[in-house]
Amino acid sequence: MQTVKNVFFALTAVAGISFSAQAQKVEFTEYDLPNGLHVILHTDHHAPVVAVSVMYHVGSKNEVPGRTGFAHFFEHLLFEGSENIKRGEFMKIVSANGGSNNANTTQDRTFYFEVFPSNYLETGLWLESERMMHPVINEIGVQRQDEVVKEEKRQSFDNRPYGNFINTVEKDLFTVHPYHNSVIGEMKDIDAAKLEEFKAFFKQYYVPNNAVLTIAGDIDAAKTKALIASYFGPIPGGPPVVYHKVEEPPMAKPIVDTFYDANTQIPLVAVAYRTSGHDSRDARIMQMISNLLSSGGSSRLYKKMVDDKKEALQVLAFNSTLEDYGMYIIGALPNGGTSNETLLKDIDEEVVKLQTDLISPEDYEKLENQMENNYVNANSRQLGIAENLANGYTFYHKDTNELNEELAIYKSITREDIRDAARKYLDANKRLTLYYLPGKAKAK
Amino acid sequence: MMKNTMKKLIMIAAGAILMQYAQAQTIDRSKEPAPGPAPVLSIKDPVIYKLPNGITLLVVEDHRLPKVTATYNIDAGPVTEGEKAGVLSLMGDMLNEGTKTMPKADFDEAVDKLGASVSLNWSGGYASALTRYFNSAFKLMGQALKDPAFTQESFDKLKSQELTGLKSQAKNAKAISARVNNALTYGKTHPDGEFETEESIQKLTLQDVKDFYARYITPSRGYLTITGDIKPAEAKALVTEVLGPWTGPKLSLEKIADSPNPGKTEIDLVDVPNAVQSEIHVVNLVNLRMGDADYFPALIANYILGGGAQSRLFMDLREKHGFTYGAYSSLGAARLQSLFDANASVRNAKTDSAVTQFLAEINRMRTEKVTDEELANANALYAGSFARGLEDPARTATFASNILINNLPADFYKTYLQKVNAVTVDDVLRIAQKYMDYDHLRIIIVGSQAQILPGLQKIGLPINFFDKYANPVTTPAAGK
Repeated sequence: MQTVKNVFFALTAVAGISFSAQAQKVEFTEYDLPNGLHVILHTDHHAPVVAVSVMYHVGSKNEVPGRTGFAHFFEHLLFEGSENIKRGEFMKIVSANGGSNNANTTQDRTFYFEVFPSNYLETGLWLESERMMHPVINEIGVQRQDEVVKEEKRQSFDNRPYGNFINTVEKDLFTVHPYHNSVIGEMKDIDAAKLEEFKAFFKQYYVPNNAVLTIAGDIDAAKTKALIASYFGPIPGGPPVVYHKVEEPPMAKPIVDTFYDANTQIPLVAVAYRTSGHDSRDARIMQMISNLLSSGGSSRLYKKMVDDKKEALQVLAFNSTLEDYGMYIIGALPNGGTSNETLLKDIDEEVVKLQTDLISPEDYEKLENQMENNYVNANSRQLGIAENLANGYTFYHKDTNELNEELAIYKSITREDIRDAARKYLDANKRLTLYYLPGKAKAK
Repeated sequence: MMKNTMKKLIMIAAGAILMQYAQAQTIDRSKEPAPGPAPVLSIKDPVIYKLPNGITLLVVEDHRLPKVTATYNIDAGPVTEGEKAGVLSLMGDMLNEGTKTMPKADFDEAVDKLGASVSLNWSGGYASALTRYFNSAFKLMGQALKDPAFTQESFDKLKSQELTGLKSQAKNAKAISARVNNALTYGKTHPDGEFETEESIQKLTLQDVKDFYARYITPSRGYLTITGDIKPAEAKALVTEVLGPWTGPKLSLEKIADSPNPGKTEIDLVDVPNAVQSEIHVVNLVNLRMGDADYFPALIANYILGGGAQSRLFMDLREKHGFTYGAYSSLGAARLQSLFDANASVRNAKTDSAVTQFLAEINRMRTEKVTDEELANANALYAGSFARGLEDPARTATFASNILINNLPADFYKTYLQKVNAVTVDDVLRIAQKYMDYDHLRIIIVGSQAQILPGLQKIGLPINFFDKYANPVTTPAAGK
């Protein structure tokens, strides 16, 4: 058991240290192991905490037709144990050492992590290296996790109001690109898959040269490097992971779709546009447009539709960016008896205004302050820092420093850029209009 | 010459081998690594000031990021709304609708211009901003608390939104479950059991909002926490300027009678035909205070049963049987009654099997001692999560306000881990028998009755039927 001592700092001792408010740079070191594993280390001794994380550059877009849901399924499967960790022991080891852990999957990557008191750094490295080196992938694990994932799908999508909204937008905006498929996938695909297919998927994607190991927190960098070499060094590298982006042809004409959700009673009407991927400056501009439209009580759609006209219960405008493309979604839930068409008309008016007029200098200043505020809040926990560093390396052309450059990019965006991006992406002839309605689908 | 070079090369080679050794030591992968020496935990107490009007100010200085956050909490305890159910939440929303001197549009513009967040609710408020804008953001929060506009127009808008919002949740099994759990357990007249309905919202007036505001938004029993890039003296000066002159009624906590558990364990079933999963809650009321000697053993007992992803419920219902995405339990500790609640969302076909497993696991907690390993693991988890929690600078302020609100000893958190470590397997058994009330449980199930009733009937417990508002239903719709 840990010995715990309480030490009380005199307040004055801390008050003397004052950092310059603007100099909030996240420091890190990075290097590659011979097997291709990219390592990023960030040291912060403020709290006795360490985050150990691995980001594998594999998500649902790497799946082949007929085998959707694999990447997410692995998020579950890779907790089943390894050659040295018995089935069911993985999470127990984490909690029995005072840690917490989880994982999540997107279209583009899978992120596994543990947060431990800092004296359990080595335990975290052992767990993640076991998972990468020789996880047990067998029938019993596949069967059990197959049932669990089906329950997850029911709980997170099928039994949840508006649970299938994003999946429907993706399905409609992408016709040939694998973003067409949902991350959780089709249950029949997992049911039909053979054990050998799971093993092959692991061999192809869960190799050190397709992963980033990021450690953030109360660590000694030199000792940590030695431990990493010991635990991850012996894992053999694999063939380079090849990914060919499928080009989605420009939308020929507007799409209109209707989806029925038995869990809701209020419609959600939305328009959605295809935009550019993460690494583009345009993705940042679209983020600013989202703030302008729907962030805060003074934002354009909120003020007009919720406060002034009182016709919407809620408005939303956000840029869901992915590696290859993004989705820009604007929508509203009606209040009282407002018609869907009224909501769409009001949304369209604001889009046209963005495309026609430059935003005011006051609005611009507001956006700059909001972006700075977001930036300051983004890196306040070690786990968040670890993920942001790994994101930079994985999605911004190996630019791990991306999180430190973000604010400068926002500051470089002009009012003209905002107008031009609205013209470029929010094209009324190239969009989806989705009526997400209460009730059961009628037979077609 | 030659010799010298050789020697040098050998030295370099030796050096390289040593380097190599430092880089990658041989490790034994077959065993879990031993931890390093435990870190010393430092709990830096917040600076506490008491304002003459009743506000307790707690300041945690942390200059790592150029931002400051303020949270104001009025400790009114549970409040009975009675016929006015829904008024408190509506009153809280009304505080975000501008002030006497600043209409809503101007207020929102002022907040957004700073890039700040300012929000109010019926038990207080929140302001967060970059350091250079914090004073302005805090003043806006103060103004909204002290001087709300309360216009009829805002009231009508929020009322209509509330009605639409209620409608939007009408078929949501999770929302229905949350409502009926509390209503059935505490009773519909208890502040924790009462709920708003379309009828109660329709009847509310702007005057009701003003009345509840006058009674409950006050500096009395107010706890204001300020965390971040600010010096305590500066924080105190700001708060004194903004909230110092504020006056309001003195709050006292309502006296609320305890509610009973059922005489015998029962199933309470609510039919939601569209549900693809059943929301299962196995509950009983408990009387447990944070200051009680039982508090620490109760933490551990609940953790072993269902506190996490390696606790018994999760391991059994998810990992062993695959009935659910997750199964958990909680055991509340508060000044008033709270709940023991074991719960999961389970697919229709396995609803009755899941209930059987819940009962078996609860029974096992009460009849068998937990293992030493389970106890040690639970202790370690609490030690670790305590340490991990210190990453959040506001945590120490939460400790301090918890001590004040719950009347705990001053060293409650400083001796927290010692008390966790002192818990024995006998304590855990005693606690399970006392607080996990196997013979007086309510098993509240919200789901598709047609699909789950036949299975549930086989369990052999009495089944009561209720509608979505916790009213008894005599003829079950799906009994046909």
